[in-house]
Amino acid sequence: MRSFTHINAHTIEEAHSLLGKYKGKAVLNAGGTDLLGVLKDEILPDYPEVVINIKTIAGLDSITENDGGLTIGSLAKLADIANSRLIKDRYPVLVEAAHSVATPQIRNAATIGGNLCQDVRCWYYRYPRHIGGPIQCLRKGSGPCLAVRGDNRYHAIMEGKRCFAVCPSDTAVALAALDACIHVASPEGERRIAITEFFSPLGNTLKPGEIVKEIEVPAFAGPTSQKYLKFTLRKPVDFAIVSVASVVTVENGICTDARIALGALAPGPVRSQAAEELLKGKQINETVAVEAGQIAMAGAKPLSMNGYKIEIAKTLIKRTLLGGG
Amino acid sequence: MANKYRFIGKATPRMDASEIVTGKARFLNDIKQADMLYGKVLRSPHPHALITKIDKSKAEAFPGVKAVLTWEDVPDWKGGTPRYTRILDRKVRYVGDAVALVAAITLEIAKEALRLIDVEYEILPPVFDVEEALKPDAPQLYDEFPGNVVTPGVPFFGPKNLKEVVMGDMEKGFEEADVITEGTFGYENIPNPLPPEPPGAIALWEEPNKLTLWVSNQASYMDKITLFHVMGRKVEVRSIGGPCGGSFGSKFMSWQVQTYAALLSKATGKPVKLVFTKEEHLAAFTVRPSSRMRARVGMKKDGTVTAVSGTWLIDTGYYSMTTQSQVAVGCGEVQIMVRCPNWDLRPVIVCTNRNASGIVRGFGGQELKCILIPLLSLAMEKLDIDPFEFLKKNYVKPGEGYVWRDGIWYTYRGVDYSPAMDKGAEAFGWKEKWKGWLTPTAINGTKQRGVGVGVHGNADIGEDASEAYVRLHPDGTAMLFSCVTEHGTGQRSNYAKMVAEVLQLPMENVSITPSDSLINPYEFGPAGSRGTYAIGSAVIRAAEDARKKLFELMAPMLQAKPGDLDTSDGMVFVKDNPEKKIPWRSMSIDRTITGIGRFEPDYTLTNCMMSFIEVEVDTETGKVDLVNVVNATDAGKIIDPQGLEGQLNGCLGSAGIDSAIFEETILDRSSGHTLNANMIDYKWRTFSELPVITNVVLETPFPSHRFHAVGIGEVATSPGPSAVLMAVSNAIGIWLHEYPVTPEKVLKALGKVSLRGRKGGTP
Amino acid sequence: MRKKQWQGGKNMAAKNKKSGAKKVLAKGRINLTVNGQLYELGIGKEPDQVDPGHTLAHTLRETLGLTGTKISCDNGACGACTVLIDGKAMLSCMTLTVECDEKKVTTIEGLGDPKTGIVDPLQQTFIDHTAFQCGFCTPGMIMSAKALLNDNPSPTEEEVKEGLSGNFCRCISHYHVVKAVLAASEKVR
Repeated sequence: MRSFTHINAHTIEEAHSLLGKYKGKAVLNAGGTDLLGVLKDEILPDYPEVVINIKTIAGLDSITENDGGLTIGSLAKLADIANSRLIKDRYPVLVEAAHSVATPQIRNAATIGGNLCQDVRCWYYRYPRHIGGPIQCLRKGSGPCLAVRGDNRYHAIMEGKRCFAVCPSDTAVALAALDACIHVASPEGERRIAITEFFSPLGNTLKPGEIVKEIEVPAFAGPTSQKYLKFTLRKPVDFAIVSVASVVTVENGICTDARIALGALAPGPVRSQAAEELLKGKQINETVAVEAGQIAMAGAKPLSMNGYKIEIAKTLIKRTLLGGG
Repeated sequence: MANKYRFIGKATPRMDASEIVTGKARFLNDIKQADMLYGKVLRSPHPHALITKIDKSKAEAFPGVKAVLTWEDVPDWKGGTPRYTRILDRKVRYVGDAVALVAAITLEIAKEALRLIDVEYEILPPVFDVEEALKPDAPQLYDEFPGNVVTPGVPFFGPKNLKEVVMGDMEKGFEEADVITEGTFGYENIPNPLPPEPPGAIALWEEPNKLTLWVSNQASYMDKITLFHVMGRKVEVRSIGGPCGGSFGSKFMSWQVQTYAALLSKATGKPVKLVFTKEEHLAAFTVRPSSRMRARVGMKKDGTVTAVSGTWLIDTGYYSMTTQSQVAVGCGEVQIMVRCPNWDLRPVIVCTNRNASGIVRGFGGQELKCILIPLLSLAMEKLDIDPFEFLKKNYVKPGEGYVWRDGIWYTYRGVDYSPAMDKGAEAFGWKEKWKGWLTPTAINGTKQRGVGVGVHGNADIGEDASEAYVRLHPDGTAMLFSCVTEHGTGQRSNYAKMVAEVLQLPMENVSITPSDSLINPYEFGPAGSRGTYAIGSAVIRAAEDARKKLFELMAPMLQAKPGDLDTSDGMVFVKDNPEKKIPWRSMSIDRTITGIGRFEPDYTLTNCMMSFIEVEVDTETGKVDLVNVVNATDAGKIIDPQGLEGQLNGCLGSAGIDSAIFEETILDRSSGHTLNANMIDYKWRTFSELPVITNVVLETPFPSHRFHAVGIGEVATSPGPSAVLMAVSNAIGIWLHEYPVTPEKVLKALGKVSLRGRKGGTP
Repeated sequence: MRKKQWQGGKNMAAKNKKSGAKKVLAKGRINLTVNGQLYELGIGKEPDQVDPGHTLAHTLRETLGLTGTKISCDNGACGACTVLIDGKAMLSCMTLTVECDEKKVTTIEGLGDPKTGIVDPLQQTFIDHTAFQCGFCTPGMIMSAKALLNDNPSPTEEEVKEGLSGNFCRCISHYHVVKAVLAASEKVR
């Protein structure tokens, strides 16, 4: 691809310093499985002058216990997360989500931080330069959204505003159901962002110069039942058309806590509070599970071609709760 | 029945096996030549526009750039049928159409040069729908095609080139029918055969008019012929083929990438390599033709079709190279499938502002069957006719015939395929699984299973001409001169196998010439299913001719007549007295013996593939899973068991079965962009979801050639898509007629998709 | 292990590695071991150097002449370019060569014994089962299978399919490939 200056950063401070020095003309490279595609297709108005490799920062890929919860370094590979005994014991929904990403080769390189920060897959946004593109749009700075009047079969059915591309990350959905938060480092210090606040229609909420450092997953009070279901046209390779992560606590046959996170329906994972409230205090059976699906979709506003996602979402919600595949 | 052959019918390692598994096989992009330049194409952002200004000065000045060509620089070379499509034109006719060509010392410099070319366009209104394009006020793509109707051009297949199926008495035909059904049916998802290796070429132009091309094509000899005509018959073309990373018909249409490389070489005096990216492969290279048909059929209670009438609209994209031929063959094939005396089927080929359609495995027949079988199914349903019985009854039988692509009637003289179909039905369990039209085979909670059946056959197994030489050497080896490349079927090795069988030589002692048009005789190429019978015949005749000449030479040395002799392992011996033998070396070391073989086209034989499909539909998500596939055929004699199985398993590739499940080229019909020109958004089958495939192959000797074999390579993919539609319709009890049957379509049919939330959107 | 010295790029100090200390920025050179052979590649624009924008697939094929690794989609979606990097199956078209300093890469050319010409048992079962048709996807297929068998010498059929799930084949050699990989796993045991 087109050339750039490549610099290995060895500490987070160094990465900050480089980002500051190159002010908007530098990008970070972790696993590279998203960035290289963006660069090869030249979809963005500006091509970076500098690529900063952060894989050379030691210590950002560990998976460690933390007060009954877990801290996952942003550079932890999806393959390592998918194979982690530790994560599987406590947060199987995250293992399922990580395992569902792409293909074995991609998972060997891709990082969880990259999976969360990856760019959207809207095919107007991603239209390559060399076959008559790129296509300008609001997400790139200006212009109409071609998806609204065009082919929006994979776009958002909720919370879309000005941009209707969905968040393509599987791990984001699982982490949303786990109430995880992201630790972000900037030259000014560190801050925490809840996963559900990390995404917005026109991009994620990182400020310039900020770097995702680690993901903190809190502990649970007791045992939970967790499931991640991803609906695609094919296995594997595909990004989700709809996905659902559910984390449910059942005591004496009654649901005492429920987290339902919806994926590929909005610019970020969506926690369905209405469904969660419905489930609390009830025995989870077929009727309740169906109701949860319906109430979760009550506010959906599909575009011209993606209304079918509603039915699939209802089905996946029901199936994560009942244990079907 | 014991196999009486030494090599034929036995599994033997392919000649190129070692090269392939070690990575040594040199595909086109593995070739590097001294001084070689790299070519790139600048492509149009508009579906329909005139270039009003093009400034290439900055690009030409960029260090490392050796040539920049625009429509103003190139000779008046044209391709297409008729020959109206300029190699670079002032008008662009689809998003991705070629605007300029660049050659530079590295690929990255060439890409940089593309960015430096300034183009101004006058935007013209585009048209994307085949019926819209036919309207009187539609935007016109070519002055030469009024109404956007693509005219026949010079008939490829002779003066009576089949353009339609018209025969008999329509009124009488419909009167005789017990049921008449009609409707509009489409196969409009323009899937891409998507071989892994993208199209490309290396060209070396030598003044004043000599061109050497390194090509990636299944039929590399034909590139020489195609380009000769594109270049106004003034250029001497030599095409050199090599291992081809998949073609499925599409790389026959490589004239543009080859001509781009040739023009750049002409402008720079250096060899130029131009290879498409996968995005160009998906957005600017061969896709299937798109079909829409309004038709009526009449059918009797016993499954006889009494009349078929209709208009078949074919959308060929922005130009046609072979669409007329595909229509001709499709019209011939439909008569092979359905024994009907009264036809009025009128194809119209239309051009629209999208990437061009062209040759894909199935060659017009798949396109027509995908829209006709659903219409026939409507009638079958009304009459409660089992589709398997219908297809079996209607398939051409020995003694019956068809009007083939050249407009001539041929009587079929091959075998009856009914036993093969019966065996297939048995292997599939059709009798148990078929519960009637629009009735699921089984219901398991939210999952419903359905079955379908499809058929395809092509009288191309003996089409076009082939030539071969076989040269015998005193050291007991033989060389086959045949311009065939290896593109996945294993045929290159199989021809060596045939030579080895005729001459009774160990297979290691038979080699094949490089696929260089300079040293090999005419070869149409392993296209369709012609490899086994057509090319095989030429090869066998050449080997037999060589053998005859060998015996004529050796007979006096053995005091015998040529007819008394036989040969094995490089020894010639007297049949009745094998101890009387001499080695081939006796021909003298300063001699070789060359046999010549030629095959003349023979359209009296057709092959047949029947595919049985079982699907499982999840009625809550709309997902269609392919569970079970049975392919049934008769190959006459299996030459290469593993190769054959590979071809039949190939039903899952080449824009076949999966064009009914998830394959489609998605075009935005307002902006003209191909939205899924990448390998994540263009869907292909993975290891994770393989159906069970059972291949049933009978061996009933055909009156073809020495080995009584016929080819079946092309037809494996074509019965599938219509069978999938049938199976899904049966599974959910509702007719589905749109390809592919995505979850959205299934859920809509089941009434589970809510009304639109927002306005707008033209799918 | 032969060393290859490639000139060009910035003139830097010898590769003195101090443990834990900061490495010198822009070393100007990367050490890449491919199939057991060490290459010292300068970073720069000369034909024998590595540009930061070069993918490993490009470097292997164009700079080092190892064309066994094929490029099909060049965008991380098809697996044709699969090689082993430090034993893991990775997509060489989505890997920057400049980020492969000190890495050990195995390509299809690295399987088998170059001296005797005897191929790896996995390659042999591919030959025996005709586990290919056009052969373009085959090197990537074999490398993915190799990574699978290194990690899991006795895979089930499902595990084979999963291990190869990132490899595209259009000729549909899948069924023969699965047989070949299972046969290879039995051979080695």
